[in-house]
Amino acid sequence: MTHLSRRALIAASTAAALAPRLAAAQAKPRLTAISQWSAGSDGAAISALGKKFDEKGGIWQHSPVPGFTTEMMNKLRAQILAGDPPACSQLKGPEIAAWSKIAPTVNLDATVAAAGYEKVVAPDLARLHKPGGKWAALPLQIYRTNTLFVSKRGLDRAKADKLPTTWAEFNTLAEKMKSAGMASPIANGGTRSDDGQKFEACLAGISPAAYRAAIMNLDAKALKGPEVKAAFVQLRKLSDWMDPNVAAQPYASNLAKFVAGDMGMMIQGGWAQGVLLNAGFKIDDFIIAPGPTDNGKPVFILNADAFIFWQRKEADLQAGQKLMAELVMDPAIQTMYSQITGSIPVRTDVDLSGPGWSDGQREAARTLKDSLAANQVVLSLAHNMAQENGMTAAMIDVLTEYVKNRTITPDQAVARLTEAVESSR
Amino acid sequence: MRSPAATLGRWAIHIAIWGLGIAYLVPLVVVVLNSLRSAEEITQTSMIGWPHIWEFSNYIQVWSTYCIAQTCSGIRPYMLNSAAVTIPATLISTLLGAVAGYAISLWRFKGDRWIFGLVTAGVFLPEQMRLIPWTIVLRDLGMTNTIAGLVMIHTIQGLSFTTLFCRNYYMAIPADLMKAAHIDGAGFFRIFWRIVLPLSPPILIVTVIWQFTHIWNEFLYGVTFTTGQQQPVTAALIALSAAVADVPQHGLQSAAVVVAALPPLLVYLFGGRYFVRGLTAGAVK
Amino acid sequence: MAGLRRVPEFLVIWVPLLIASGQIVVFTAWTTWLSFTPSTLMPTDGFVGLRNYTSVLATRNWKIAFDNLLIFGSGFVVLTMLTGLVLAVLIDQRIRGENVLRSIFLYPLAVSFVVTGTVWSWLLNPGMGIQKLVNDLGWSGFRFDWLVDRDMAIWTIVVAGIWQSSGFAMALFLAGLRSVEADLIKAAQIDGAGPWRLYTRVILPTLWPIMIAVLVILLQTAIRTFDLVRALTGGGPGIATQLPSLVVYDFMFQRGQLGRGAAAAVLLLLTLLAVLLPYAIWKRVQARRAANA
Repeated sequence: MTHLSRRALIAASTAAALAPRLAAAQAKPRLTAISQWSAGSDGAAISALGKKFDEKGGIWQHSPVPGFTTEMMNKLRAQILAGDPPACSQLKGPEIAAWSKIAPTVNLDATVAAAGYEKVVAPDLARLHKPGGKWAALPLQIYRTNTLFVSKRGLDRAKADKLPTTWAEFNTLAEKMKSAGMASPIANGGTRSDDGQKFEACLAGISPAAYRAAIMNLDAKALKGPEVKAAFVQLRKLSDWMDPNVAAQPYASNLAKFVAGDMGMMIQGGWAQGVLLNAGFKIDDFIIAPGPTDNGKPVFILNADAFIFWQRKEADLQAGQKLMAELVMDPAIQTMYSQITGSIPVRTDVDLSGPGWSDGQREAARTLKDSLAANQVVLSLAHNMAQENGMTAAMIDVLTEYVKNRTITPDQAVARLTEAVESSR
Repeated sequence: MRSPAATLGRWAIHIAIWGLGIAYLVPLVVVVLNSLRSAEEITQTSMIGWPHIWEFSNYIQVWSTYCIAQTCSGIRPYMLNSAAVTIPATLISTLLGAVAGYAISLWRFKGDRWIFGLVTAGVFLPEQMRLIPWTIVLRDLGMTNTIAGLVMIHTIQGLSFTTLFCRNYYMAIPADLMKAAHIDGAGFFRIFWRIVLPLSPPILIVTVIWQFTHIWNEFLYGVTFTTGQQQPVTAALIALSAAVADVPQHGLQSAAVVVAALPPLLVYLFGGRYFVRGLTAGAVK
Repeated sequence: MAGLRRVPEFLVIWVPLLIASGQIVVFTAWTTWLSFTPSTLMPTDGFVGLRNYTSVLATRNWKIAFDNLLIFGSGFVVLTMLTGLVLAVLIDQRIRGENVLRSIFLYPLAVSFVVTGTVWSWLLNPGMGIQKLVNDLGWSGFRFDWLVDRDMAIWTIVVAGIWQSSGFAMALFLAGLRSVEADLIKAAQIDGAGPWRLYTRVILPTLWPIMIAVLVILLQTAIRTFDLVRALTGGGPGIATQLPSLVVYDFMFQRGQLGRGAAAAVLLLLTLLAVLLPYAIWKRVQARRAANA
């Protein structure tokens, strides 16, 4: 950071302006952070967190890197190469373990133990943030990627009143919608992660155990197993019901048709609720439900954002890291954060009955708890939670080609997926 | 008097060229219209359409109040950053390229072909490939996260284009002119100032236009090598578009695109006629 | 030559040139070195032989990207030149509003590739763009869905590329047309040449050097095309519109496989060399012939 910008940042921070001269002698907690949350509700949420940090007597120095995650990682790489990593940066999933091998991270075990945090975090999620058995990163918020959104008008148009809970029911409803005149009953986006998200919803809905074995553990036998093939069969059905004209547009470009009842259902992350409401649609234009599951128990495909903490020698930065860790684990902070972004808290012991939470968030949090009890929480492939990026990208290549190319059979897809996994191991 | 056939032909030519012209304007019209629509309206209808309610406030918001990177000052400071990178990098690379092109084309020294070949080969190197090497260079020079670092990168990379353009233009300067100057005893710089530079405005304008637009529109380096409040406007544009938990801000985004594109558009508008004239004089052979 | 030995000249000529060419040589060498290492997230030492190359060559991504480069490279370069030439010839006919038209055809050059890609992704999207417009006007059978057609999607990038770059070609060609000597044209007209003959036999042949220049600039654009594809098709449908530059970036930074990304970059440069080297040799031979004549 140059002299100039540091001066600007300090000048901008009211805390610094008001601080007595003496404070300079002792280490005032300071945090340098990078994330991709620069605008909109993501930006608002992190700004609110920064404000809390300042209120606790810290100096918050957040530099958002706008754009795709890749650009943020380039930035992080550049800073690590320059020997000047941020005190903390946004990072998620298995990449935490991969990047923690490149530069030393902070051991957060003591702070986490003091907060009693481990008991209230899903075990699969906790594991991701403990490379080598030590906490180096902390999850901040959770989204469910297999949330089913059903259009109220679409449902009426198909003359149906029951929400589907299994894939068979889902398929029946989609057929009904199709015969009611909907050209594409499924509202979708055309991005790579959108296609991946459809596949993970299929497989985890058919068998969370198979999902865990094949996608999370890359078990060679499970990858070729009947469940994976069944998931591809289901994915083909979905792709036949999707709008082929969406091209590479984000799913938001189909929201109008979805609400109008020209498209009936959407499998999306929980964030879509906020997007719908922000676009001026009404909460009773659509219904939110858990994604289809075939074994009678709820399935939760988990996507979580997190912060990793990079080792710094400066006392003020170390104090800042400790303060940040405490804040991130604080139920009040998690509540504040999720209420801004529409996610759900990482802590499973937060009470969502109060105002400020939506029914969708309450339902998701409840499903998370129930799925945990049934051991049916799995990590999202499409959102880089299940595998490192290289493996994820290789697998999504196969999935997105399959969705866009009807001539690929489920058997071929299984073979290609296996091949992609083998060549990326 | 023109024959009826010739008149008909001229009509056909006019219709063809103006038809094409209108077609070329369509993308601009679509963006300008979107910049005057609200995000809700775009999401509820389509990305292409006539504004129901004219949202001129998009421009005000984008220019001075929209919150990017925790500062609610719109894209104005980012425009200044882009200018701080683009203007010096354009001028320095053009000037150095002109001198280098002049030396290579008119002074001919040992190995000039090789140097010229190598420098121009640079136009083909993908940016992606140079990202990490530049990171290391910036670190070693202590220029990480500085605008000066970006200026340096764009100047050095820009030399490939500017040298190529200028060298090819100067090749057309008659040898007699040089010979006469030599006989008069003029040296390297004297000839450059007195003879070459006065002949150069066309090519210099071409080079400036080219460099200005490319550096202004560059994104990858800008976002990687600067931080927060120093980022160029292209980074701010992306910030507007990539908010996961939000409805895409298409209205604001389009307004930002229009504002951010204005400087290079103006450069083209004013320099455009020289562009054609400049290329006339020497062209790239 | 004498002047070159003096210090200030040395500084302003050689220092920038050496830095510029040195950067190119060193960065290319460094990337080549990287392509033989097991580097993942960060550059690391070590030697893995040709393993990065074999694994890149084995991916469907690279195969598709390479085929696309041939289609896009030739389609974009040839069609942009053709469009530019047609525009230039039309504008050269003493058109009303020439200045306005010239600005219209040039303005796309000022627009960034990201913006170009985004806007064309709306226009070419069958659900909201040109197809929908024509359908809504009553021609319900009209189809223009290249963007979602695996075989045709690469041509949408060509279309957007032409829109972006044809003004540049036009400007160069127009410059060329305007510098054809009036005597030459008059002589041809006296010989009774019609407009078609005049252009094909007399005027266009003088444009050869400019054509080569345009070719080089467009080829360079084609090879470095990156933002445009990312914004227009996102590499899709599926992975149907991958290009080598995207594969390089994808391996290096998205997938965290620097070694493989570097190998892809080297393969791209080798391809380029295979195109440029014959041209350089041809030029050399020509220069020699000219010198001997």
